[in-house]
Amino acid sequence: MLEDLRELWRYRDLVRSLVMRDLTVRYKNSVLGFFWSLANPLVQVATITIIYKYVLQIGIPNYSAYVLCAFLPWMFFQMSLSDAGESVARQYDLLRKVYFPREALAIASVFANLIHLLLAFGVFFVYLLWLGVSIQAGWLLLPVVILANLAFVMGLAFFVSALSVFYEDMTYLVGVSTSLFFYMCPVLYVTEQIRNKMIPQHWQPIIWEVYHWNPMAIFIEGYRQLLLPPFHAKNLNDLPIEPRYIVISVVLSVAVLIAGYAFFNAKKWQFAERP
Amino acid sequence: MSDAAIQLQDVSKRFRLAHHPVATLKGAVASFWKRRFEDLWALKSLSLEVPRGQTLAVVGRNGSGKSTLLGLIGRIYLPTAGHIEIHGRVAALLELGAGFHPDLTGEQNVLLNGVILGMRERDVRKSLDDIIHFAELEKFRDAPLRSYSAGMTMRLGFAVAVFTDPQILLIDEVLAVGDQAFQAKCLREIQRFQESGRTIVFVSHDLDTVRRVSGRAIWLHEGALRADGDPEAVVKEYLSATA
Ligand SMILES: Nc1ncnc2c1ncn2[C@@H]1O[C@H](COP(=O)(O)OP(=O)(O)OP(=O)(O)O)[C@@H](O)[C@H]1O
Ligand SMILES: [Mg+2]
Repeated sequence: MLEDLRELWRYRDLVRSLVMRDLTVRYKNSVLGFFWSLANPLVQVATITIIYKYVLQIGIPNYSAYVLCAFLPWMFFQMSLSDAGESVARQYDLLRKVYFPREALAIASVFANLIHLLLAFGVFFVYLLWLGVSIQAGWLLLPVVILANLAFVMGLAFFVSALSVFYEDMTYLVGVSTSLFFYMCPVLYVTEQIRNKMIPQHWQPIIWEVYHWNPMAIFIEGYRQLLLPPFHAKNLNDLPIEPRYIVISVVLSVAVLIAGYAFFNAKKWQFAERP
Repeated sequence: MSDAAIQLQDVSKRFRLAHHPVATLKGAVASFWKRRFEDLWALKSLSLEVPRGQTLAVVGRNGSGKSTLLGLIGRIYLPTAGHIEIHGRVAALLELGAGFHPDLTGEQNVLLNGVILGMRERDVRKSLDDIIHFAELEKFRDAPLRSYSAGMTMRLGFAVAVFTDPQILLIDEVLAVGDQAFQAKCLREIQRFQESGRTIVFVSHDLDTVRRVSGRAIWLHEGALRADGDPEAVVKEYLSATA
């Protein structure tokens, strides 16, 4: 694995160039292209906000900010996995012709989405200031959450991109699983709502525990608590994330990253000769 | 240390040939208990030493293992058995314009292609003008690649490959690119490579080129070495066996 990392470092320019390629192709060589690419999440968040606010009548101030804050990292997760799935499989001809560390393709597709996330967060900050949310010291912790989130997504991306080379229906499988996974992350709701009266008393602790073993849920909750004031709707008490869940999610993410990279490396020289 | 650029010791390569589609997870599960693959030995215990500065031609019938040999030297495949040693940077002209993207401009594609072939980005940047000049595509420098003709795309790819300046050059059937003028230019470039003491391994079905360009030829037959030596003699033997 160390040898693989060293080789990857020698090819670091390749990763950077592939990221640049992904972004130029995505933004069509223009700054306007970046704002265009924000249109999709904005439209979705606007729709969600309208439905929750006016149809379901949940009177929460700045509800759109809470949704957007979770939606941007969610997009990062979802887009990274779908791009990573295609990254190696689509370059199949290239793999059969040229030597280079194959992981560069998977890494570049995640990094391109990371840059997109950072740019989108930049726009989000402007929106927050416009809403009147004041700058907080907690924002300085944001890079830590982003790094852990990156590790988790990258690890999964390694699995997905390697498996997609061998199995064409991986893309479909990943698409279905991520859309189910969406509901296991606090995007449309807040974590506090997991403790609701509909769930029988004795089930509550178990569900609460299991729910929090999902690193993506913790990260999304983390972004929210760092960026936005506590969510005081519906008389829910604001619950800070328990420290042990933070530790669990970071440990899990690093484990997924290492396992994913090891899996990818074990498979990568079979890519060019898949049956 | 010996003066070999490429050393192969008892190298074998096995591919697995699938007889029904297993390219889906569903298919893999469904055919789990069936025998899924047939083993196919593309190279069988091949030993070969190519000295520095030699131009080696590889001939043989379709499916005899020529491209597999180049793939092993170019580190696209790992050998199933045996040992390979390479001294020096390898560039493969197995595909010209690897990783070209139709939406990027000629210049952006050159930069990307260069780093895919293992160059540092700043080195590609330095040779950017020369590469585009060599490909004779100055006018199309900032045009997206989809507005190029097929020959122009290959010219650009060849130009990048030449400028990566490898010690070992692998060529698989790509000499016949571009128009007459550009072909002549390619051949001149390959000669320049030979004169500067670089090692070349090339596959060609054009036996005239083999006789003219190479200093040694090998004949692969069903993954094994059938003849090795002077190009004239090997080509003659090959021709008499297949005629
Ligand atoms: N990725 C692969 N998977 C399975 N079998 C393969 C693969 N690549 C090559 N083979 C098999 O290995 C054998 C040798 O193939 P190779 O491409 O080396 O032949 P070649 O000498 O280059 O032929 P040609 O003159 O047609 O280019 C063939 O029987 C081919 O079917
Ligand atoms: Mg071939």
